[in-house]
Amino acid sequence: MATGAVPAEGGGYTGPVETSALLDPRLLIVTGKGGVGKSTVAAAVALASARQGARTCLVEVEGRHIFSRLFDTQAWDFTEREFRSGLWGMSIDPEASLREYLDMFYGARRLSRLVASSSAVEFATTAAPGIKDVLLIGKAKELERRRNPDGRFCYDLVVLDAPPTGRIVNFLRAPDVTTELVNVGPIRQQAQSLIDMLSDHRRTNLLLVTMLEEMPVAETLDSAAALRGLGVAIGPVLVNRVLAERTDKAASKAMAELSAADLQALLVTAGVELDAEAATALLDAGAASTKRLQLQRRQRNQLGKQLQVPTLELPYVYSERFSADELGILASVIERAVEG
Amino acid sequence: MSRALDAARQHDLSTVVDTRHVIVCTGPGGVGKTTTAASLALGAAARGRRTIVLTIDPARRLAQSLGLGKLDNQPRPVKGVDGLDAMMLDMKRTFDEVIDRHASDPARAQRIKTNRFYRQMSGSLAGTQEYMAMEKLYDLHSTGGYDCIVIDTPPTRNALDFLDAPRRLTDFLEGRFLKMFLAPGMAAGKLATRAAGFGAGLFMRAASRLTGQAVLGDLAEFFQSFEGMYDGFKNRAQAVYHLLQQPTSAFVVVATGEVPALREARFFLQRLESDGMPTAGLVVNRVTPPPPAGLAPVTPQAARAAAATLEQDGPESRAAAALLRLHAGRVEVAQRERHAIAAALHGIDPRALVQVPLMATDVYDLPGLTAIGQHLYS
Repeated sequence: MATGAVPAEGGGYTGPVETSALLDPRLLIVTGKGGVGKSTVAAAVALASARQGARTCLVEVEGRHIFSRLFDTQAWDFTEREFRSGLWGMSIDPEASLREYLDMFYGARRLSRLVASSSAVEFATTAAPGIKDVLLIGKAKELERRRNPDGRFCYDLVVLDAPPTGRIVNFLRAPDVTTELVNVGPIRQQAQSLIDMLSDHRRTNLLLVTMLEEMPVAETLDSAAALRGLGVAIGPVLVNRVLAERTDKAASKAMAELSAADLQALLVTAGVELDAEAATALLDAGAASTKRLQLQRRQRNQLGKQLQVPTLELPYVYSERFSADELGILASVIERAVEG
Repeated sequence: MSRALDAARQHDLSTVVDTRHVIVCTGPGGVGKTTTAASLALGAAARGRRTIVLTIDPARRLAQSLGLGKLDNQPRPVKGVDGLDAMMLDMKRTFDEVIDRHASDPARAQRIKTNRFYRQMSGSLAGTQEYMAMEKLYDLHSTGGYDCIVIDTPPTRNALDFLDAPRRLTDFLEGRFLKMFLAPGMAAGKLATRAAGFGAGLFMRAASRLTGQAVLGDLAEFFQSFEGMYDGFKNRAQAVYHLLQQPTSAFVVVATGEVPALREARFFLQRLESDGMPTAGLVVNRVTPPPPAGLAPVTPQAARAAAATLEQDGPESRAAAALLRLHAGRVEVAQRERHAIAAALHGIDPRALVQVPLMATDVYDLPGLTAIGQHLYS
């Protein structure tokens, strides 16, 4: 992490993580620019992990209730629930995390009740610099470290749907900020243990989600640079909503040269009758799609050249509604990547 | 489809850019708020109104096309557009200005600005960015001499934070917790002994066990140096809230056709309603337009069946097949978006509903913003 932080044993930059090792760490922190489908991809990653037989916990921290809707379950709260075989889910809120922390470390119920009284909680969770984020990451660490009575880890993998890239640096720096302000005591120890977890490349990887469009790619490149400065290991970049490339070059060439009359005639042979206006509209849609594919290729090159991190592309899913079935398609792509 | 929705589709944002004094663009992150704000500002300027667009965190290329090379908190004329200024909000500098304005004397202002909590907090305190955006908006309103001020809200997790920021800040400043810190003697490091009441004393002992006493002393000093400024903050927050409620203000909610974005847009529209804020419209960006009338009879199933028969032939037939498959996908996505929009607006009157189609290229320059404008106000 930043200045003054001591990397844990096993930390230090180990180079880019191959896509086949995507699910190997113990904690995956998923981020991305707003609107790229960060939460959807986090859910697909967790689903893929569970289907591979790993006990997986999917965690949301912003209380947006995206996962309960996506998986069509009851609303999530601070208690983990197994909503698919081998897949648990929970929603961390900073207040509950603070209460749990105080109970666990200070036992004294009277004390924790008092400290957790509303105005103090409001201060700790909204006003104090970084405390809210320390509490959220602290709960993720509790899940990551928790062991069964037989000594094995309770979860093989924790997937954290983190704040978007615009706020991810502040989020991950929160434990550092805390150690800068607080020099002694249990809060400092807690913050240091979080820094150890985040900077240990075998335990924690950050997954950037992006799309092959100018603004998301630019923001991904900026974030990757800032995150490398923090010493967090960046896992494969997940590229969402990739339009299928046209593999049939001859047909692509023919499409560019087709006139509306040609198209009308061809379609009649397949039993589809269109007027000239409709045929032109169809050709226009084809031309716009060609342009977007060109744009996509340019951005793919840009990303590959500048980032030098392996990428995994997830397809744009055409369907009438996006639900658990469509999520399954994305999870399958991830599973194929980790199976090699 | 409800009648309110049909009526809203008939309206765009022409009267908004023609007449409103303050236009607030709000919505979840990544939906094109900044682009929409810049495009609306362009429209207002084109109608001869002296306009400024205040943006928080624009993408680099968009900032460049607006002439915002650096983040300097100063209005800058946009090259090539008469009567349009643009400005990028510098959080830290705005916070410093607020302290300078409200502090009773320069020495006190200086003391606050050098406190280590202030330096950490001015960036990370929840609601600060929203509050500062409001501050700057009010500043431009009272001293800028603009006919029209378009503001792009910060990319918060939840668009509601924007309206809550002034209230949250003032609630916090009035809270019991803060009073503990403001109790006499705190800054001197004599924790608990003279703090107000037993509860506060116990709390302070507990807190100092968690963090060490030095931190609490610094924190107390920080809050004490704000003393006498709270009323200034509070009055300002109320004035901003009141300004936003005026019929000369307009809220434009921005989303995309994706369900999560539309769900947040719905919450925000409801919230505007319950706060008595003037809603002007919902802009849905990047939508897939429905097929033209002549293509409507070709269902996705029919298109795919016909494509299958064409697939085996020469390049031209295969091109036609590819176009049919593209059509099938577009119809399905258009349907998915239409249902999502209708569901998000169920029982809500957005006043105007504008759908901006997905452009073939990314939008970041003035011609691109003008093209978007064609859909927002024709």
